[in-house]
Amino acid sequence: MNVHLQEDLSKHTLRADDGIAKGADLLKVENISLSFGGVKAITDISFDIKKGEIRAIIGPNGAGKTSMLNVINGFYFPQQGTITFRGEKRRRARASETARDGIARTFQNIALFKGMSTLDNIMTGRITLQKRSLLWHALWKGPAEREEIEHREAVERIIDFLEIEHIRKTPVGRLPYGLQKRVELGRALAADPALLLLDEPMAGMNLEEKADMSRFILDVNQQYGTTIALIEHDMGVVMDLSDRVVVLDYGKKIGDGTPDEVRNNPDVIDAYLGVPH
Amino acid sequence: MFYRTAGQFKTSYSADQALFPVRQDAVLLIVILAFAWIIFPLTASEFTFQTLLIPILIYSLAALGLNILTGYAGQLSLGTGAFMGVGAYACYKMVTLMPWMNPIVAILLSGVFSAGIGVVFGIPSLRIKGFYLAIATLAAQFFLVWLFEKWAWLYNYNASGAIQVPNLDMFGVYVAGPQATSFTQYYVVLAIVSLLTWVCINLTRGRPGRTWKATRDMDIAAELIGIDLMRSKLTAFAVSSYIVGVAGALFVFMWRGAAEPNLFDIPLSFRILFIAIIGGLGSVLGNYLGAILIVGLPVVLGIVPEALGLEITSATVEHLNVMIVGGLIIFFLIIEPHGLAQLWRLIREKLIIWPFPH
Amino acid sequence: MLSEIFVEPFADMVAAPDFLMQVLWEGLVSGILYALIALGFVLIYRSSRIFNFAQGIMVVFAALTLVGLHEAGVPAWVSVVLTLGVMFVLAVVVERVVLRPLVGQPDIILFMATIGITLFLIGFGEIIFGGENKVMITQELGIPTDSVVFEPFGGLLILEQKDITAAGIAALLVIGLLLFLNKTRMGRAIRALGDDHQAAMSVGISLQTIWVLVWFIAGIIALVTGIAWGARAGVSFALEVIAYKALPVLMLGGLESISGAIVGGLMIGMLEKLFEIYWGQPLLGGNTETWFAFMLALVVLLFRPQGLFGERIIERV
Repeated sequence: MNVHLQEDLSKHTLRADDGIAKGADLLKVENISLSFGGVKAITDISFDIKKGEIRAIIGPNGAGKTSMLNVINGFYFPQQGTITFRGEKRRRARASETARDGIARTFQNIALFKGMSTLDNIMTGRITLQKRSLLWHALWKGPAEREEIEHREAVERIIDFLEIEHIRKTPVGRLPYGLQKRVELGRALAADPALLLLDEPMAGMNLEEKADMSRFILDVNQQYGTTIALIEHDMGVVMDLSDRVVVLDYGKKIGDGTPDEVRNNPDVIDAYLGVPH
Repeated sequence: MFYRTAGQFKTSYSADQALFPVRQDAVLLIVILAFAWIIFPLTASEFTFQTLLIPILIYSLAALGLNILTGYAGQLSLGTGAFMGVGAYACYKMVTLMPWMNPIVAILLSGVFSAGIGVVFGIPSLRIKGFYLAIATLAAQFFLVWLFEKWAWLYNYNASGAIQVPNLDMFGVYVAGPQATSFTQYYVVLAIVSLLTWVCINLTRGRPGRTWKATRDMDIAAELIGIDLMRSKLTAFAVSSYIVGVAGALFVFMWRGAAEPNLFDIPLSFRILFIAIIGGLGSVLGNYLGAILIVGLPVVLGIVPEALGLEITSATVEHLNVMIVGGLIIFFLIIEPHGLAQLWRLIREKLIIWPFPH
Repeated sequence: MLSEIFVEPFADMVAAPDFLMQVLWEGLVSGILYALIALGFVLIYRSSRIFNFAQGIMVVFAALTLVGLHEAGVPAWVSVVLTLGVMFVLAVVVERVVLRPLVGQPDIILFMATIGITLFLIGFGEIIFGGENKVMITQELGIPTDSVVFEPFGGLLILEQKDITAAGIAALLVIGLLLFLNKTRMGRAIRALGDDHQAAMSVGISLQTIWVLVWFIAGIIALVTGIAWGARAGVSFALEVIAYKALPVLMLGGLESISGAIVGGLMIGMLEKLFEIYWGQPLLGGNTETWFAFMLALVVLLFRPQGLFGERIIERV
């Protein structure tokens, strides 16, 4: 990534620059429990995400990782526990409001808008930043057009960054899997998130695609300064990318620390090797 | 060869976002507009005005309104006819209560009433999806038509239970009612339809359009990227019902001249839905193509047997017509489920590279 | 005003229990027919994800064919058999010409196609049978037309024998369908299809066969409803509206629930009659049956989006 782009990005990364010092708590999850009709998905989990870090959430299948992500971005509301984001305790809110507060995410099963082009999909990421009313848009000329162009410029920078210029106007349904994942990352980035949640960003990718994606994630973290929490199954990738790792198993937290600490944690080794409890 | 786009480069985003980035499209549009604004009105007969030009424009507008809701925002509605009725009755009440009101202003305002009622009946869409919602819109359809019949105030207590368009003039020219000429009415309809089409194009190419399409394509993902689904759906209901309401007012005031409640019954709703779907959901152009087909077909079918010297009663022609429209709907759905607009896109792509095969 | 809404209707009900029973009986007869038609919808929806809007016109078409054949000199019961044959041919044609080429298209496209079928059948029916009203061949089919009189609570309750017959036949058909769906291999395949296409395929019955079958069942249902409703109201294209009445039943009971269709149908039949007689006619100018069921379903769904019988859905991403 070149220097010129970096300047542009920092100019537009409004919400990442929110007065919270690098290394301070951006998000705190305390004593969260979540259940569906009596089935416990998450039991009494606490951890934090510090500003500027890449935080991984790992664990075997069914450990409650995606549920945890869904709780963080407000899709599920936990029965117990609190979530504090940027110093403010989360009240029960619609999921759309969490996104407006600056939490963006990607999905385990790609959730792009199939009827739209790559460009339009990424533009939807900026919907929360577009303020002009319906009436201005009905007229188009003037404020609405200026707003559209301003956001188009921001989106074009993301398109450049993700190296997807050639598919700008292609309907996303026609793209191969790896590119769809990249477009989805673009859509999340377009929202200028303070916290970016990635749900298995590399699932189903080949080695080359994984390398590309890892590079994008690191670049986003370093150049935009965006805090990232990610779920990933590929241990090699997780250990290389992340600053700290939290390990879940059967909805409980069994480990938390740097990649090295987690790797040597006996509980974690048991969980992965399937030692009976 | 005539449609080749090579050599046309965009140097700014605003140029790239222009309505017709390809020069030939703009030329084609100018030709069509010239026909619509100058050549048709100067050459059309009374028959052409009344059976083709005016109804095609009005039906296109109604379908465009429905398309905003169903094609763009993904909320299937079967109540379009009733919302046209709301527009028509609102317009009737306004011009009879306030005879000094400019008729065009009255027509444009009548959409406000249908928009309000559209929002009310759109509230279930926040909890109900798909066919369940479609059935819910039938509640509006049946309830409103019942209301048009039972609420005598709406039709000024006429003994007939119908509304009759009075003579309305604007700057000394009659624009509605028995005294108005088709020529004038055509221009009024054309002006309003052009204006609202332009508005719809603007709305659908910017943020509102993306918000609706995101809601349509995957509502959960839309919500999680920060789209307020309630707002998105209700604005779609409002904009759609507004346009449908204006189309309803035009339908009665600029074309039919009078209306009974059952005019707005379910066959009208379906007619508009056919036009939108055969034309192409999620397309502005498609509504016009669909309306030309659905309105034009009966006219053609009415002329053909005469031209061939066949003796067929008009009732039979009408029945044949219904049957053929039904068959055509199935035929078009099979050959191109995305409608005539998609067919045009494919032809255009072919034209751009013609005469080379690739 | 409040008393007119909340007190008087109930006072009337208590004051004349025989009349109330009469109203409920009429509602019940309609309700059984709604349930039957709703069942036709559910079967087609479960097996092919098609929301079959042509169900209404199939009722008209079946009734017209029956009466038309009889008018042409065919004995009544032979006409019934021939009409069933026609409905079978219709099922085959629909499957071949419409469904097969449209496999895998979005729901709304398939739904539109059934509206196309509706229009086609309207035009076709009018050309062949003419648009004028006809009288159902009730007596020729041996359906009694007298009435049975009861005197509950010292009052008067009149049950038309043709209504009893209609209710009886419809109930038998519903029971027959339930047996077919639960006890036969084919029936189980249809039910399995609603839950899981793969599982149904593994039963070893082709999808095409199932589609023809469910459309044929819908045709049988259409004929029975056509006879029953035609005996009450005459045979005309206005009969089509009875199919619309099955739609709120589907909303309440769920598009895929067989028991929901039955319970919902009976409920709506009786409630809309009650509302019309005790509230609609005195307070609203009558004819509320056109919309009452829809509004009821709408209000219920606002509070229970999963319908009366559906399970709560947990959304996932």
